Amino acid sequence: MLGYYLRLACKSFRRTPGLTALMVGAIAFGIAACIVTLTVYHTMSGNPIWWKNDVLYAATMDSWDPKSPFDSSHPKLPPDQLTYRDATYLFGSDIPRRKALFTLVGGALSGAPGQPIALSVNTEATTRDFFRMFDVPFEYGGPWSSEADRGPEPVIVLSRAENDRLFGGADSVGRTILWNNLSFRIVGVLDTWYPRPKFYNLTGGGSGDFGIPEAPFVPFRWSTVLHRGPAGAMDCWDSGPGSSYEQLLASTCVWITMWVELPGRAQRERFLEFMNAYWAQQRKQGRFQRPLNNHLWRVSQWLGIHDVVSGDSRLLLDLAFAFLAVCLINTIGVLLAKFLRGAAVSGVRRALGASRRQIFEQHLVEVALLALAGSGLGLLLGALGLQGVHAMYAKGYSDYGAAAHFDPRGVLWALALAAVTTVAAGLYPAWRIGRVSPAVYLKSQ
Amino acid sequence: MNLEIRPLLSALGRNSTGAVLVALQVAITLAVLVNAAWIVSQHIRQIEQPTGLDTRDTFAIEISSLSNRFNIAQAESEDLAYLRSLPGVASATASIGIPLTGYGSENGALWPDPARHGTQVQTNVLDADWQTLSTLGVALLAGRNFRSTEIQPLSDGKPAQPLSEIILTQALAQALFPRSDALGKTVYNSRGNPLTIIGITHNFMGAVCECGVPFYHTALLPEMPGAGGFYAYLVRARPGRLNTILGEAQRHIGASHRDAVIVTTMTLSDAKEGFESDDRNMAIFLSAVTVVMLAVCCLGIFGLMTFNVGSRTRQIGTRRAVGARRHDIVAYFMMENAIILTAGALLGCVLALLLGYWLTAHYSLPRLDLAYLLAGVVLLWLIGQLAAWQPARRAASVPPSVATRTI
Repeated sequence: MLGYYLRLACKSFRRTPGLTALMVGAIAFGIAACIVTLTVYHTMSGNPIWWKNDVLYAATMDSWDPKSPFDSSHPKLPPDQLTYRDATYLFGSDIPRRKALFTLVGGALSGAPGQPIALSVNTEATTRDFFRMFDVPFEYGGPWSSEADRGPEPVIVLSRAENDRLFGGADSVGRTILWNNLSFRIVGVLDTWYPRPKFYNLTGGGSGDFGIPEAPFVPFRWSTVLHRGPAGAMDCWDSGPGSSYEQLLASTCVWITMWVELPGRAQRERFLEFMNAYWAQQRKQGRFQRPLNNHLWRVSQWLGIHDVVSGDSRLLLDLAFAFLAVCLINTIGVLLAKFLRGAAVSGVRRALGASRRQIFEQHLVEVALLALAGSGLGLLLGALGLQGVHAMYAKGYSDYGAAAHFDPRGVLWALALAAVTTVAAGLYPAWRIGRVSPAVYLKSQ
Repeated sequence: MNLEIRPLLSALGRNSTGAVLVALQVAITLAVLVNAAWIVSQHIRQIEQPTGLDTRDTFAIEISSLSNRFNIAQAESEDLAYLRSLPGVASATASIGIPLTGYGSENGALWPDPARHGTQVQTNVLDADWQTLSTLGVALLAGRNFRSTEIQPLSDGKPAQPLSEIILTQALAQALFPRSDALGKTVYNSRGNPLTIIGITHNFMGAVCECGVPFYHTALLPEMPGAGGFYAYLVRARPGRLNTILGEAQRHIGASHRDAVIVTTMTLSDAKEGFESDDRNMAIFLSAVTVVMLAVCCLGIFGLMTFNVGSRTRQIGTRRAVGARRHDIVAYFMMENAIILTAGALLGCVLALLLGYWLTAHYSLPRLDLAYLLAGVVLLWLIGQLAAWQPARRAASVPPSVATRTI
């Protein structure tokens, strides 16, 4: 029966090509709009490290001005980075299974074979656990050792893009390169890694919340040894960063982000106790004059408090759904029109013995075919749309363009939604035509 | 022309599904059309906001030091002397950031009250010397510019002398002293240092950020930049010389310093385009989606009207047989369409106002201007009638004999 229904459906389409094209087009546009906005929205609101959501925590302490909160639009939130003093103290704890500090430092790479000019880079100064904690994939080599963190030893990890550009993509582990005119040894090259959003650093500095992760990576202590001030986001109150590097380290400025890996609830509570004990001790010495506000944030909470999804994309999401609604209402109406126009044929079929149910099924097959064609075309248009959005936003500063990246899950979601709603939209017209009494249509010619 | 509303309404009532669907489409399309147009107009207003800078002849070179060996103070004085000596350069200065970008964006709060109670105004801060105003093309409205003797050099580890002068934009001055003239008054920064306002300029944008600081709240401080290891040269070329000067400057400065690197070179017009691009893109996107939605709605009206006509050939034939003229039939269907459109438009107005209210509450959009609502209703109504014109005319060509042929 299915083959017969398909043949009937094709005949019906050929009878009114204009109307069919209209319906398929409308469905396709509705689906394309939904695909683009749902994909972007999904990319923007997704948790790129969801499998570690219960073990990774960002540590924050409220070292801010007793007279005003860090963020006046969210007065309960502490600063999202730590001062040098607090970061180094907390990093000394043995409680976390893994721990990482990081800050951005300016610089340049030079001295690679055939490299005419220095490549200006934003460098991530961090500790060795960064890579294992965030499941950063390596193409060659691996992270440096803990001795390298202590030294600090002149070791460096390049991104895949940098390695491609400077060494032609070859295995450069063991070779040397100049970082800020100092000779560094390459110990690892990352594989392609582009978590969206850049969950570990949402301070907005550097490449931004949706930008490519900053690279290369060097041990954190190089920033202090070379007296390199932070090149990413830094916030100060009180007397500011001062006029020397020593003053910066002793200041109230926050410029270091800290993440810890705490596998169980017990460890989590122990580390929080450790933070609170430090807070109490420092408070007696005159620091931390704001109320107790120490936190360990899961990645999902971290994303939430940073308002990662912009108002614009939420608006577009609602717009896309409205658009889909209009297209589907349109589809219902036009399908009604089309089916009732072909009522004579259905009348003849009924007279020949088809049950109401079979008429309904036949028309449902027609709707399903339409949904398929519309979804297919919509997928194509949606892919083009994503390319267009990506190109349009490439020059600007918003994160929308970077998030307009082909995300299979988002696309499947949008397709499934659209196909299901199209078929649902076709249910009423198919049922209506099944109810028509055949005699009326047999009598007229 | 005989236009009986009651038979029309009762016919609609009997076979209302198609009419309801069209009215629903019209309502949703109206709500989206009006609000999207409103949002687009806000984005366009944002783009049209003047930067207050001369973006035609100015470019910036951002420098980052590579190590402590880089003597920033010396590099600045050498490079600025070189730039100012070029015949194609009108003026040159060094600052912490590049206007209209986030490079070197620095914000702080200023208080009019020495105890720092009460009004606190967030501002974008730019380091400046006596050539900064002329490089950016910013005019003074009152007071005076910095003198070269007032510019504080980079401190080399010794505690810096607190600054004592500041130049503000007019918007910032008004925010700090709304009821009086700000010239000569004193403001205080977060450290409590007093800064005398020696000059007020027209409004211009500094190194802006998406952090809630109003774009026109810009302040200039008389100090050389570079305390953080990075800074930018801003150069204003004489008309027509921008490209050559940019190339020369980039080559010379890039080659002069082994312990520093050029992070980026950009013209202010490129910076402006980047700054505007988000608004422009959103406006284009919204407009495109709205236009397509309008088109889909129209085609829907066309299709449904065609169906209407097709299923009522007997009624039309009968009417023609008893004496109705062609234009009576056309008028009948246009009237029916008008009633459906009006019903849809009424529902759409309610939806549009609800959506507008919701947008204002959640996205801090200003309240919907009712002129847009009115324009949207009229536009949709006209387009809807236009879409129904062709099917209505086809209805009129149904011959009266149809009435007698079928039972």
